Amino acid sequence: MTLSSVDREPADADPTIAVSVRNVGMRYGDFDAVKDASFDLPKGKFLTILGPSGSGKTTLLRLIAGFGEPTTGEIFINGEPVNAVPAHRRAIGMVFQRLALFPHMTAAQNIAFPLKMRRRDARTIADQVERYLDLVKLGGYGGRRIDALSGGQQQRVAIARALVFEPDLLLLDEPLAALDVKLREEMQLEFRRIQKELGVTTINVTHDQREALVVSDEVIVMNDGVIQQKAQPILAYRKPENAFVANFIGVTNFVHGIVTGVDGGVVAFRSGGKDLRGIAGGSAPQLAEGAQCSAAIRAEQIRIVTGGETPDRFEIVVEGVIADTIFEGERIVYEITVPQLAEASLRVFDHDPAAHTQFQPGARIQLGWNSKDMHVF
Amino acid sequence: MTGSRSKSIIIWTFVIASIVILSAPTIVVLGASFTAGNIITFPPEGLSLKWYGTIFGAAGLRQAFLRSLYVATICTAISIPVGTLAAIALTKYKIRFANSIQIYLLLPFTIPLISQGIGMMLFFGEMGLAGQLWPVGVACSVINIPFMIWAVTASASNLNPDLELAAANCGAPPLQTFLYVTLPAVMPGVITGSLLMFILALNEFLVSMLLVDARNVTLPVQIYNNIRSIITPDLAAVSVVFIVSAGIVIALLDRLVGLDIFLKSK
Ligand SMILES: Nc1ncnc2c1ncn2[C@@H]1O[C@H](COP(=O)(O)OP(=O)(O)O)[C@@H](O)[C@H]1O
Ligand SMILES: [Mg+2]
Repeated sequence: MTLSSVDREPADADPTIAVSVRNVGMRYGDFDAVKDASFDLPKGKFLTILGPSGSGKTTLLRLIAGFGEPTTGEIFINGEPVNAVPAHRRAIGMVFQRLALFPHMTAAQNIAFPLKMRRRDARTIADQVERYLDLVKLGGYGGRRIDALSGGQQQRVAIARALVFEPDLLLLDEPLAALDVKLREEMQLEFRRIQKELGVTTINVTHDQREALVVSDEVIVMNDGVIQQKAQPILAYRKPENAFVANFIGVTNFVHGIVTGVDGGVVAFRSGGKDLRGIAGGSAPQLAEGAQCSAAIRAEQIRIVTGGETPDRFEIVVEGVIADTIFEGERIVYEITVPQLAEASLRVFDHDPAAHTQFQPGARIQLGWNSKDMHVF
Repeated sequence: MTGSRSKSIIIWTFVIASIVILSAPTIVVLGASFTAGNIITFPPEGLSLKWYGTIFGAAGLRQAFLRSLYVATICTAISIPVGTLAAIALTKYKIRFANSIQIYLLLPFTIPLISQGIGMMLFFGEMGLAGQLWPVGVACSVINIPFMIWAVTASASNLNPDLELAAANCGAPPLQTFLYVTLPAVMPGVITGSLLMFILALNEFLVSMLLVDARNVTLPVQIYNNIRSIITPDLAAVSVVFIVSAGIVIALLDRLVGLDIFLKSK
């Protein structure tokens, strides 16, 4: 495809779009770190790029920041093509994976740096630095050296430095990955609060699915340099586009089988000796009779059928044997082997372990679920 | 128990022996400089400061010392920009002749100083600059620049490359990025390297000997000339002044960047 065929067209079309990525690829030697990525991000939205380590998230983010030019495609910011615009002339704030605060400057000097580079006068700089120190709840810490601040405080300095010049766009490259769980969850909500307060368009990169679901308006799932799905968090969770997305978000079980029939959106298939049904997954399902398929179902959508429940509540009921019992505090995860489904191993949650007895390994139980919760790929 | 005790006795014996051997010449010189007698002896005969009085009165020595400072200043002034930029380039970019450059950096240890000195002598002689003082500074810089490059490289290789990208992201054009971010980050190496260059040039004997004429000598050459006539305690006093100058530089280094950086620089 030629550049001219993508040039301008998306940008001029819609003034509400902040970032538009068009067929962007990045190639190192003969390795494609990012392949043919396209998406639009409306102004004021919080987008998370979610993917495993090495999937090309940082590469894509750095192209948007202007650290290097894409090998193919074009990036538009506020409608302008920016491939030829160097990083220091793009009004983009970025929080780096390892923060990259200037070690020889104080917190306040770090935050003042973008304003100094923009030649604001001393008065404005001082006021603005105060405001942003307050915004990130670091009032009074401006004079501290960077290494005299805790991990969480350094995060806050980094975000203040990225926002102080009121950029069009904020980029976050897994800045929370190094923090312990409690602080990370606190900072995730903090980022979300600040983003809402300022209304700045944000692209966040993470490999933490929880973070992606909690903080974002939109999620892009990436794997091997390719965008797998772009959707609202709840849709990415409920309607995964393919087996990778289904597996990457949530705790997902796969049952493998052979398609025996396709009827509209419903797929019938056989696994082991058992006939099952599910809905065709993804927007362009490619299933035909006789093809291999994998059916995905979330751990929380499989129930252990206990005495009080009637098996009729479920369209599918199978026999299983507890293989392992894992106590995780607020829930128990059972690993259950199902001989009827070609010895498939399924994970199932029990969210109220205190209320009744746990099943021990070797116990025989019944499992039930409904076909609408099974996505066949 | 006894094993570890005898081990620590052996270690301490070595430590003390090394300190004595290393410091013996300094102690002899120090002692001799305070002698009240007229020849260098150890232990000194009586105590006095008269030889310090003598050297501060001796115009020849004083001027030679000023010349040495001048040479060291020129050497340092050249080495700072050249060595700093070279070291940053070497660490940041994949340079084509990296291997050859590594070998070049070993030159101070492999090529005899005398051959480098003769090379310089011929070169400056051809240019009609023989006998002048400033070429000694240039020559010292050329010969010792690898030390400067090493010192800065030690800092530059610890530099997080994201810092420069962060500066660009903050709106800093390349020059500002260099001035506000890269340079401060390698500053410990620059300070270490320039003090080292200063001291090496201050002490430089052979190159000065070959390049300057008799009316224009630096302090080490002046001392050498004096030794050849008679060895009097004033030379011990000069040596002490020299040692103290070096001590001041080391103290400065420790205050500014910390000696651990200096010892770690490769
Ligand atoms: N400068 C580079 N040269 C060669 N390969 C690179 C370079 N930068 C990234 N890569 C490769 O591209 C892939 C994606 O990297 P990255 O974007 O950092 O992934 P992520 O941020 O999702 O973990 C990795 O396999 C990485 O090794
Ligand atoms: Mg990354």
